[in-house]
Amino acid sequence: MQKLKLLDSKSDAPQKASLVLSNGMTFQGESIGAPISAEGELVFNTGMVGYTQSLTDPSYYGQILAFTFPLMGNYGVPEPGPGAYGFEGRKISPSAVIVAHHSSQAFHWRSHQTLSQWLKVDGIPGVAGLDTRLLTQIIRSFPEVRAKLVIGTDAGSAAFHSSASPGPVLLPRVSTAERRVLGKGRKRIGLVDCGVKWNIIRQLLAQECEVELIPWDTDLSQVDCSAWLLSNGPGDPKNTGGLISQVRGLIDQGLPIFGICLGYQILALAAGAKTEKLRFGHRGHNHSVHLVGTQRGFMTSQNHGYAVVEDTLPDQWVPWFRHLNDGTLEGIRHRSLPFRGVQFHPEAAAGPQDTRWLMEEFVQELL
Amino acid sequence: MKPIKKVILLGSGGLSIGQAGEFDYSGCQAIRSLEEEGVQVVIVNPNIATVQTTLKEGRKIYLYPVEPEWVEKVILAEKPDGLIAGFGGQTALNCAIRLDESGVLARHGLQNLGTAIEVLRLTEDRDLFAQAMKSQDIPVPPSQAAASVSSALRAADRIGYPVIVRAAYALGGLGSGFAQNSSELKYLVEGALASSPQVLVEKSLWGWKEVEYEVMRDSFGNIITICNMENFDPLGVHTGDSIVVAPSQTLTDEEYQLLRTASLKIVESLKVVGECNVQFALNPQSLEFYVIEVNARLSRSSALASKATGYPIALVAAKVVLGKSLLEIKNPLTGNTTAFFEPALDYIAIKIPKWDLKKFRGVSREIGTTMKSIGEVMAIGRSFAEALQKGIRMVTENESGWIGSTSSLRSSVVSSPLRLVPKDWVEELKVPTDARLFKLIEALRQGFHPNDIYQVTQIDRWFLNELAEIVATEREIRELGLKWQKRKPILEESLASVSRDSWRCWKSKGFSDEAIARLCSGDAWVSKANWIMASLVVRKLRQQAGVNPVIKKIDTSAGEFPSSSNYLYLTYSGEISDEVARKSGPPSALLLGGGSYRIGSSVEFDWCAVSCLEKLRELGWSTSVVNHNPETVSTDFDLSDQLFFEELSLERILDIVEFEKPAGVIVSMSGQLPNILAPQLASRGIPLLGHAWQSIDQAEDRKKFSALLDCLKIDQPQWIEATSVQSIKDFIAHVGFPILVRPSYVLSGAAMSVAIDESALMAYLSRAREVSTDYPVILSQYFEGAQEVELDAVAQRGQVLVSAISEHIENAGVHSGDATLIFPAQNLSETIKEKIAEIGKKLAHSLELNGPFNSQFLIKDGRVLVIECNVRASRSFPFVSKVLGLDLIGLATEAMVSSEEIPPFKELVNSKLVGVKSAMFSFQRLAGADPVLGVEMASTGEVACLGSTVDEALLLSFQSSGLKPPQKGVLISGGRIEEKKKLIESVKILNELGVPVFATPGSANFFRQSGLRLSEVSWDSIAEKMTELIQNNELDFVINIPKDYSESELSFGYRVRTLAVRRGCTLMTNVEKTERFLKALASKRRGEIRESVSSLDLACQGFC
Repeated sequence: MQKLKLLDSKSDAPQKASLVLSNGMTFQGESIGAPISAEGELVFNTGMVGYTQSLTDPSYYGQILAFTFPLMGNYGVPEPGPGAYGFEGRKISPSAVIVAHHSSQAFHWRSHQTLSQWLKVDGIPGVAGLDTRLLTQIIRSFPEVRAKLVIGTDAGSAAFHSSASPGPVLLPRVSTAERRVLGKGRKRIGLVDCGVKWNIIRQLLAQECEVELIPWDTDLSQVDCSAWLLSNGPGDPKNTGGLISQVRGLIDQGLPIFGICLGYQILALAAGAKTEKLRFGHRGHNHSVHLVGTQRGFMTSQNHGYAVVEDTLPDQWVPWFRHLNDGTLEGIRHRSLPFRGVQFHPEAAAGPQDTRWLMEEFVQELL
Repeated sequence: MKPIKKVILLGSGGLSIGQAGEFDYSGCQAIRSLEEEGVQVVIVNPNIATVQTTLKEGRKIYLYPVEPEWVEKVILAEKPDGLIAGFGGQTALNCAIRLDESGVLARHGLQNLGTAIEVLRLTEDRDLFAQAMKSQDIPVPPSQAAASVSSALRAADRIGYPVIVRAAYALGGLGSGFAQNSSELKYLVEGALASSPQVLVEKSLWGWKEVEYEVMRDSFGNIITICNMENFDPLGVHTGDSIVVAPSQTLTDEEYQLLRTASLKIVESLKVVGECNVQFALNPQSLEFYVIEVNARLSRSSALASKATGYPIALVAAKVVLGKSLLEIKNPLTGNTTAFFEPALDYIAIKIPKWDLKKFRGVSREIGTTMKSIGEVMAIGRSFAEALQKGIRMVTENESGWIGSTSSLRSSVVSSPLRLVPKDWVEELKVPTDARLFKLIEALRQGFHPNDIYQVTQIDRWFLNELAEIVATEREIRELGLKWQKRKPILEESLASVSRDSWRCWKSKGFSDEAIARLCSGDAWVSKANWIMASLVVRKLRQQAGVNPVIKKIDTSAGEFPSSSNYLYLTYSGEISDEVARKSGPPSALLLGGGSYRIGSSVEFDWCAVSCLEKLRELGWSTSVVNHNPETVSTDFDLSDQLFFEELSLERILDIVEFEKPAGVIVSMSGQLPNILAPQLASRGIPLLGHAWQSIDQAEDRKKFSALLDCLKIDQPQWIEATSVQSIKDFIAHVGFPILVRPSYVLSGAAMSVAIDESALMAYLSRAREVSTDYPVILSQYFEGAQEVELDAVAQRGQVLVSAISEHIENAGVHSGDATLIFPAQNLSETIKEKIAEIGKKLAHSLELNGPFNSQFLIKDGRVLVIECNVRASRSFPFVSKVLGLDLIGLATEAMVSSEEIPPFKELVNSKLVGVKSAMFSFQRLAGADPVLGVEMASTGEVACLGSTVDEALLLSFQSSGLKPPQKGVLISGGRIEEKKKLIESVKILNELGVPVFATPGSANFFRQSGLRLSEVSWDSIAEKMTELIQNNELDFVINIPKDYSESELSFGYRVRTLAVRRGCTLMTNVEKTERFLKALASKRRGEIRESVSSLDLACQGFC
């Protein structure tokens, strides 16, 4: 029988940790995970399930992620491994994690360790016991708020890195180091890895495609494939080095292109459109998009702070999806050529799988 | 599709187990939504206590049975364009299917709006449903439909035992159950086939996780899931009887999305238009799952999901049913976002069922696949512990909560190492009962290992672990208390040393101030009054430590978008309260709700609350509501300016009052629960609107009230407050048996009983102590054969403004909540009526009443005796108001808050029409419960209909309550000679109607002497004979009148009564009710009853 520590809690008092915000607010909670300090842009996710997927999503690289839903870690963390279920990347992406409550035990049949143990293994700090609804509201009111996690109750007074500077190009940190071919199939998809979520790869492989994983800075003109997929990833799409001009080359080349999230923004920039920072980013599993020209809407998983500006779309490009609440663009396509992209996550993980058909349609058209 | 200008909306009828107030909530939202779209709504629903049957501009209300014959008459009278059946539960859905099958819809060119009838039929027909799911590759449990016992047995042999039996076209799992072998299966199927044409024999999935999704689809194919919910109790307990958590807590994203995607696929394949509930069984060790049920209509679960998420499901569904797209509908909670989205929660909502099984004599306390609970509470918190502890306090009505859940409060602190679950505990934990949650807590306190409890119960270990953590904190507080008690036994000084962190930890784990006081001080205090004082000490010190709850909004977006929502809850897991928009200027009233529906407190008080809120708004007041019953209309998001979905406890109301600072609190609209809080609130300096707390106290306290009656020279039955055996003996020597025994502060006759002799009295007294230790036992004189009368009235500053008198059909001895009421009273002399009205005036004057009140009387040999006076709105207010066409609650509200004097109505008000209100019973699903009417209330709902004669209204009312006239045969047994005499006329009518009569020897002999035709049935083989007659279609009506209420007499007819109910016969246990029913049937046969329908507005054209 499993040894449980349930009934003699409070054996070791948890260490305190503070969260200092760039707007001057400070909150105190308990340290979970690695007892180290961290700093980053503070973001939230309102999803009620899927914390392992979110935490391994490379798009969160360098950010401090606050889970709005107050109960985290209930079903533990599955066994890690290449491409393992529940993981969207090799390791935890955010620089720190904020939760209201975390489960000290996990009993799910898939569970291998608790959330807190996993954070420790990956060397990522976290704070528990904070009012995550309040943090969500603060982020909504101060969209570029940054935060520092400090161990102990002495918050210190170190200055924040300026949020105005574009910061380093993040892609080298999240992209694959070398070209790799996965699976065997009828068509080879060139997947430009800007921090790709593993479920994109899983879905392509499930449709019997061969996937070539390509580092973000590879000379794409040297790659041989039948179609391109530009992946999701972290940061400002304009801050992606030479990738935009490379994609411009792909457009000239004429092979089918599918962009997802950051990949979609890069595609739009390459086509000549502009992007902007949203006043209110979209971060959750309950964002509805409208398929333009139809009566249909879809529930999508979203995680983005930038959007493509519809007014700046070049002649040959048309809106494909729009957000039902704020009307911002959620997808574009070329009038006549096989180029398209969506701002949301058709690969879900975590979140609703209602737009899985987009990826299926993309592959079908290649056959 | 022609444009829809007028629709007929079917209601769900009287409240019964499995179909309660949630359909008034859904229906009301739908009606308002349809009216927003410019559609006129015609409502058919005999439930007079509902908000949806309140007459409003443009609405047509028909208080008629939701049966095809009556609905067709309404269709003829109103000529609507469409029928809407999705908001009236199983009753409306079954009616719609029958209207379609009998060609009524086609005959009148009426479109069924929403999900197609074929689909409704498919979801109800187990076999068709299974086939449809298989064709979509959606797994269904191996099963087979059967229409007879023998084919069910064959099916079970093929599938293999254990199996689960489910009845088709049944609500709340009626007739369902697990069978381990063929004899269990036979018993179940016989019962199920009594009310359902078909059963499904299905593989047992006992112990699997049960997960539900609430799904909405529009006619364009857009689909969302509004909410998912997970049952704390694994499969085997009906979802209506399960503790339910929203959102799911133990599912991974993979499982959540697997089931979500499956529910979307199911709803798309069925082409549902509107709301749909999908239930799954999920293997707790793999991704294997089965769909177990689909309800293509609004349901109890959808009402819960609506309250749990804040998403107004019925409002949106109604627009979708009219053909609107989800993409074009706005989310009214935010005002500017789309209704096509899925709410994100940033809290957890827990539903706990309210069973109230204690009210039923002989009922089995086990819960399973047939729903038995009668109401529910929903608790909201930002941790499982916080929400669960709130929920426990809500469902126990603050009596005990978590802390009082066991007798072991005084037992020493258990610090033993983890223990194996001993054998005697295994059964207790394994077999689910209405008390299992408390058993689990106690088992953990005893130190049993959660893993072992899991092995026995299959309840997910995450839930058990959460419970164990609460138990650990409880022990920590108790140990601290023990330490203090050794040192310095003053609670206040001890508590001053508690750190802010500890306070926060205790409070965020859901411990109430009272629980903390009791845990810290062990045996130091005993009485309830002292606990209140101690909890206020805790409150003071906690506040000094700076630990207070914060107020958070339910906004459907988890704070992602700004929201004008004023749907609120309180939590200790938070730093800062949300900004709550408030109207400045108008005075504000805080209305306390009545908590969960239970026997004696139901939808009628919700009606009172809504009427009060609407009047307050009209008078320019701003309003707040505190309640935790998700099935109520008064907790809808736009009925008040602020809604606190919270506990009705002193602690929580003080928190809310400190935040809200209302001009006054209203305690008199929602029944007894808020009413008894009045003295506590008033003594904390909180102003009450309406009656002064002293008036409430004087009416509630029997001694004070009795003294008042004596002082006013008002007649009353003799009584004493029994404090010793000697005083009981002296009293009995004086008044004799039978005698009525009860505790004070009585609600719905709780633990009230008639003792016919000393042994019955002693038996009662041994039971009474466990009911209430804080209040003494009352003995009073009991009058046999007395008539019972009720006065509903409104007073302002001691002056009666209006009063209305109704009479019971049943003689005194049947609880007023179970009795059949006639208004206006038909059989009282003018003198008696004047006497009653005069007493009402005296009471109002001397108590200085200021608001609604109700008084009950006995009339015996020209004497008028007062039984009680409720200084609050009563069960009969909606009935009387609607028959009169005069909103007595609106008037009472005005009286309570207005500084101007309202001119009183000169005379007793009267009505041209007569209304008959009758009770709905749910005995069919309460296995073992004795379905006899007595002083303990047992009905779960009520209906009322109007007519130009008593007989007309009575027949409609009885039909609405499910009483079917005798057709095949009648069995008569029991009754004293006086009662048999009264029944002669009835038997004669049965002879005239040509209905065969069977009678037990005593009765047979008696009626034969009067020249009546009947067959004799011996008592020895009565059960076998009944079974045979029922099977041969020769018996459908049973009259069983107990001679008295002694244990031996009741057990005599018990088998007859329970068998009658189980096999679907109409059962009559009261002689006056039987008499009136058969007389009315005779006059119907003579063609004396009007057969046409009229709507409430026509019926109520002016009262005189």
